[in-house]
Amino acid sequence: MVWCGETIDRRAFLKAAGIGFAAALSPRSLYALERADAVFASGFRAPDGSFGIATVSEQGEIIDKVALPARAHGMAFSSATGRAVAFARRPGTFAMVFDPTREAEPIVITAPEGRHFYGHGHFSPDGTVLYASENDFDGNRGMIGLYDGRDAFRRIGEFDAHGIGTHDMTVSDDGSLLVIANGGIETHPDFGRTKLNIDRMEPSLVMLDAKSGALIQKHQMPSSLSQLSTRHLDIAENGRIWFACQWEGARNDTPPLAGWFSKGEDIALLSLPDETTARLANYVGAIAINRRENIVGLTSPIGGASVTLDAKTGLVLSEDVVREAAGVAPAAHGIAVSSYDGQFMKTRSAVAWDQHIIRIK
Amino acid sequence: MRKTFASGLIALLPAVFVPAAFAQEADTAPTVELPTATVTKVMTAAVDGFIRPGYDAFQKSAEDMTATMRTLCAAPSQANYDAAKAGFGKLTASWAHIEIVRTGPVIEQNRFERILFYPDRKSTGLKQVQAVLSKSDETATDPKTLATKSVATQGLGALEYLLFGTGSDTLISGNDFRCRYSAAVAENVGNVAAEIAGIWDAPDGIQKAWKQPEVDNPVYRTGGEAITGLLGILVHGAEAVRDQRIETFYKGADKAKFPKQALFWRSENTWPMVIANLDGLSELLTTSGMVELLPEKDRSIVAATEEKLKSMSALAGKVTPDLEKAVEDTSERQKLDTLLADGKDVISKLNDGYGGAIGLSSGFSFADGD
Repeated sequence: MVWCGETIDRRAFLKAAGIGFAAALSPRSLYALERADAVFASGFRAPDGSFGIATVSEQGEIIDKVALPARAHGMAFSSATGRAVAFARRPGTFAMVFDPTREAEPIVITAPEGRHFYGHGHFSPDGTVLYASENDFDGNRGMIGLYDGRDAFRRIGEFDAHGIGTHDMTVSDDGSLLVIANGGIETHPDFGRTKLNIDRMEPSLVMLDAKSGALIQKHQMPSSLSQLSTRHLDIAENGRIWFACQWEGARNDTPPLAGWFSKGEDIALLSLPDETTARLANYVGAIAINRRENIVGLTSPIGGASVTLDAKTGLVLSEDVVREAAGVAPAAHGIAVSSYDGQFMKTRSAVAWDQHIIRIK
Repeated sequence: MRKTFASGLIALLPAVFVPAAFAQEADTAPTVELPTATVTKVMTAAVDGFIRPGYDAFQKSAEDMTATMRTLCAAPSQANYDAAKAGFGKLTASWAHIEIVRTGPVIEQNRFERILFYPDRKSTGLKQVQAVLSKSDETATDPKTLATKSVATQGLGALEYLLFGTGSDTLISGNDFRCRYSAAVAENVGNVAAEIAGIWDAPDGIQKAWKQPEVDNPVYRTGGEAITGLLGILVHGAEAVRDQRIETFYKGADKAKFPKQALFWRSENTWPMVIANLDGLSELLTTSGMVELLPEKDRSIVAATEEKLKSMSALAGKVTPDLEKAVEDTSERQKLDTLLADGKDVISKLNDGYGGAIGLSSGFSFADGD
């Protein structure tokens, strides 16, 4: 397995992860965790180049952190079970399920032979199934792996994601639908993170029946937008699925960078003001919805910006300059934003926050 | 010209291209901000001093190889066969020098894979080339029709088997089909090289986009983007040497070893390829003058990287070409271990050292997106 140039086998990963979680949460951290109105979790890179996961207060202060032997990417949290999972950055083959309170032992999941994780996944509403986006790299097709939360996250099956370069995926609130962003970019672990088909990409957005894996709807980008990689998702209160994109075409184009769709409906592309598109540098790295306030947050590390939209109309509500903007998550008020250079809301820490944040409380 | 894709608040698919005036420059916070004149100087040196000459040299090597193969086909002999094998070494070294550029036209339209299909863990290329030979498939002897066949049958991997694999000695006594197929592969590689060189040579094409970052540039809108792209060539190139070319067959003394998965083990060109890769990285770093973009206090990182690349290149030249021995013999393994460790060091120097110095706070790889 290659994670950021490091070769780590399963035994080494288990050992390192186990050491990281061996200690109980300190009373101070436990107090901070219980006291905080909102708590987030995110991957990070420490100044010495090591990696880990941290829980963070709404002010951006680190509550607890645990070292990981390699870099994580996306995360998911089950409010039903209190468990979180951090997925390896592609083309990693490990995911770690953990209890942010450290009351339960972490569980390391290994992708099966011929698969690697794409860095994202989601729990079913009751937390009994973990869905993970995966690459069947020799078959060049995206897959959704299913892992049993009642049985140590044993792999119990997989669904065809009906696309290539599967990246983010999520689950409808009632657990009946899986929603998948197929970025359309072919990669293979033999070639590291190299994009193998930029001139013939096939991005798509897919909805599956969560029980059977049956295809319910699939939206492919038109030929003029074939280089619009549909990569990240979140679902609004009304069931509307928002997606965010990264443009692999000419840098001086101004493509749509976000949009939405719902079950039974075609996709709508959001035409942001040119100035906003320029600010996002044709690259949205993360998306999150604050359902209570009905707003959508987008970030661009390349453009150094965070943008907040009205989830009902798509209108831009605010734009902020955030150097190396990384993750977004719904905050108690507004959208929480982190950055590669250590900023998390109002606090700067001596870490580089990774691309995604999840809210765990 | 800049294109915009939709008008109105929400555009239902299918979206339509609508030309629009350039957007006003937004108030952005680009990660990397560098002096424009120095960026142009560095990018011009990279393009005109390394990339274009590299593809021109590769094209010339392929044309020489084609001529050498035709000579062998017309007059089979030990001397002409030896010349063909030597020509293969020159051709692959020429490719390895410029192969580090894994961006631009070379990765479009399968050009990279048409030149070199590797890694090939399932030996797809070997099976397909053997099938062509067993059927004496005449369509493989014409570069035009060969170009439409599987990429695994038309590049350097195929040519290596034809010249060094089972039955290759029949070329000495006159294996007409095998020889004409070999010549077609060489010509096909030359054609692909000419395509790439032609694209880079077009004055208003990619070379201009690389040299003059600006708002209405299809590749790089800012100097920071351009230099980050150039750094990406070096980081990805160094990663490829370590992860694809060495770790493919050797990951450490206590790990499984696969000497016959190494690139060009048959022709003993594994190390010449690695050396040419490393020398290419070193030359690009030096020729481009990337050091000029760093503050004085950070400039030593470039010299340290160049020094490490040179020591790796020298060490690679001392490893036995017999890869079975290289992975089993203790002293040879020590060289491999050193190459892996030094490779990691080079990646770190470029990624964190140079990347951090130009403003990528967590290094190049951390910020390369997903």
